[in-house]
Amino acid sequence: MFIHNLKYAIKTLFRDKMLIFWTFAFPIILGTFFNMAFSNIENSEKLEIIDIAIVNNEEFKNNEIYKDTFKTLSDENSEDRLFNTQYVTEEKAKELLENDEISGYLLLENETPKIIVTTSGINETILKTVTEEITQTSEIVKSISESEIKKQMAAGNYKIDYEKIYKEIIEKTQKEEAKITNISNKNLSYTMIEFYTLISMACLYGGILGMVAINQNLANMSNNGKRISVAPTSKGKVIFSSVIASYIAQIIGLSLLFIYTIFVLKVDYGTNLPLVILLGMVGSFAGLSMGLAVGTVLKANEGMKTGILISITMLGCFLSGMMGITMKYIIDKNVPIINKLNPASMITDGLYSLYYYDTLDRYFFNITSLLIFAFVMIGISIFSLRRQKFEKL
Amino acid sequence: MTVFRTFLKVLNKCKVPIIMYTVMLIFFGGFNMQTSENSTNFVASKPDILIINQDKEEGITKNLINYIEENSKIIEIKNDEEAINDALFYRDVNYIIYIPENYRQDFLDGKNPEIKIKSTGDYQASLAEMMLERYIKVANTYQKNINSEQEIINKINETLSKETQVQITSKLDTNNLKKATFYYNFTNYSILAGCVYVICLILSSFKEEKIAKRTIISSMNYKKYNRHLLLSNSLFAMVLWIFYVLLSFILVGNVMFTEHGLIYIANSFVFNICAVTIAILIGNLVNNKNAINGIVNVVALGSSFLCGAFVPMEWLPDSVLKIAHILPSYYFISSNEMITGLEVVNFEGMRPILFNMGIILIFTIVFVLINNIVSKKKRKIG
Repeated sequence: MFIHNLKYAIKTLFRDKMLIFWTFAFPIILGTFFNMAFSNIENSEKLEIIDIAIVNNEEFKNNEIYKDTFKTLSDENSEDRLFNTQYVTEEKAKELLENDEISGYLLLENETPKIIVTTSGINETILKTVTEEITQTSEIVKSISESEIKKQMAAGNYKIDYEKIYKEIIEKTQKEEAKITNISNKNLSYTMIEFYTLISMACLYGGILGMVAINQNLANMSNNGKRISVAPTSKGKVIFSSVIASYIAQIIGLSLLFIYTIFVLKVDYGTNLPLVILLGMVGSFAGLSMGLAVGTVLKANEGMKTGILISITMLGCFLSGMMGITMKYIIDKNVPIINKLNPASMITDGLYSLYYYDTLDRYFFNITSLLIFAFVMIGISIFSLRRQKFEKL
Repeated sequence: MTVFRTFLKVLNKCKVPIIMYTVMLIFFGGFNMQTSENSTNFVASKPDILIINQDKEEGITKNLINYIEENSKIIEIKNDEEAINDALFYRDVNYIIYIPENYRQDFLDGKNPEIKIKSTGDYQASLAEMMLERYIKVANTYQKNINSEQEIINKINETLSKETQVQITSKLDTNNLKKATFYYNFTNYSILAGCVYVICLILSSFKEEKIAKRTIISSMNYKKYNRHLLLSNSLFAMVLWIFYVLLSFILVGNVMFTEHGLIYIANSFVFNICAVTIAILIGNLVNNKNAINGIVNVVALGSSFLCGAFVPMEWLPDSVLKIAHILPSYYFISSNEMITGLEVVNFEGMRPILFNMGIILIFTIVFVLINNIVSKKKRKIG
């Protein structure tokens, strides 16, 4: 009986085209969209080489510090290249700026540098910062050489080689290095969260499968259910086999999604694949249990139940960052309790902790939360399924 | 009137999704509308920085903190490594500076103490790093030449206060125009989803076999019936469009009352017509009511993601943008982007926008033609 029902339950589930679309195809389609839209975001947030122009007037030509600095920073072979510089006349610079071909241009007049831009922005700020750095370096050189000269004079040395002092100080300032060590984690790609919410969505959408499967066994939901309820078989067995059937269907769908995201979309789940799989399975179990609870507790038609499951899932995914990654952070930071109760967030956060953190505490906390959630849901379903009797339907 | 009444009845049934699309528009439109000052002065970008100071806040350490505070936005996060790491991952901070214990003394002893940082690696973080590096370099140079701490601090501050003059040439209120662009780009999703969902649902309700048979044998002329149906659908689309335009006046504000605002509105009107024809075409192709939801999502989400309604076009990979050329949304959104950069409203500047509108209209005509062919083939009921 168990195997028999299992077989037919699986068949029924896979024949329902809409169901398969939402649980199998939709996450994959959405994932493809995400990939198209987000694959380039992080690259475009990196500092790119900025197009600028410098007015090539006499003053600039005579100013060694400016000339050298911009030459070094625009060096095509250098790793630290910041600018792509064009040396032009003022008219040409204006024209380039108007046509949006450069972020801004530098004009050196009466020993003061001036930057001309069209808007405030990061590229403009960097141009400003670099120019300031040059002014400040010359300031330092001036100030230190002055005091050096004073010192030498005070020491009674009147044969001062100004050139040499300048050169030495310039060299010294250029040699100055800041010891900065980056200790941040390598895995910082925040767009991954989008794909993790996708996995949680797929897990929770699996609840629809569970709900549809159990509806087949409920006397008040389908004719099939009426027949089953008058049949002399153990209801527990039938229901259990339906549940197993939907879990199998769910796992198949989720595996397809995992395979697709890993091999086609190149989503990074971190290094611990077995734990990712475990999370997927526990997550699906939680989704399934939610589907069962909604399916058994509510007395509404199937469309209504599907609507409710989809809304809960989408709300959960929204709170865990599907429509804007910051949302998850805002909730986590300000009202953590919401996401501690939200199964979608538990799954997303579990995947996130595997990707970003080296320790597993947070991961296991999420797994435990998911299991507790699932058992509460199953408890509710069992409670409402027990001793169900209908005098008439 | 009968047709229109039935239309309203069906429309009433699908108010929830319409409200949802609108709420999303308001939410995401509004989310991005945090007040930013409309300024024609240069405002330097300030990275979000968190400083974890393990040293006493005195002397040179204090001065470093002050300098960073002045040139960045300091973010407060509770001192817990996990919270800090989360903040970095979700880009709440771009750059975290750990000032080591005994920094002040080590610095004054000329040890050039190592500073640990965490960085998101984006341009904000690069800017933060430039600032920090500059400070340390300046400080180190003075430290080697001056003995008194106070004097070093004075010198550092004096040097770092030398600012470069920046002049902004454009008088364009780009901040607010960007808001408008963001809003109108998002309407690509709301308009498409709203039109396709409602019109498909209505057409499929009217096409239900029993109802269709009754309509055919009724005394109403089929031309009149078709005309009414088309009119009611267009009316709905117009109402939706007017509603979104009014909403833009509230959410975006002043910019909408300028010439630029008018172009946004005209552009969305053209797109709205196109959306109606897309919706009618899909409605004629699809008979299954259950499938509508799936189709709406694929069509509206798909073209919004592909064409840059959610994620700005400049951030999309080139290959995606190439594919996007086959969708009308692409031309709608790229016009919106052009309006942001439009300095003066004249024919010369408007030409690419008019060209895009023309393409959207061509799309519209193509959809109408296909629709005619499809509906001709489907007219008979078995």
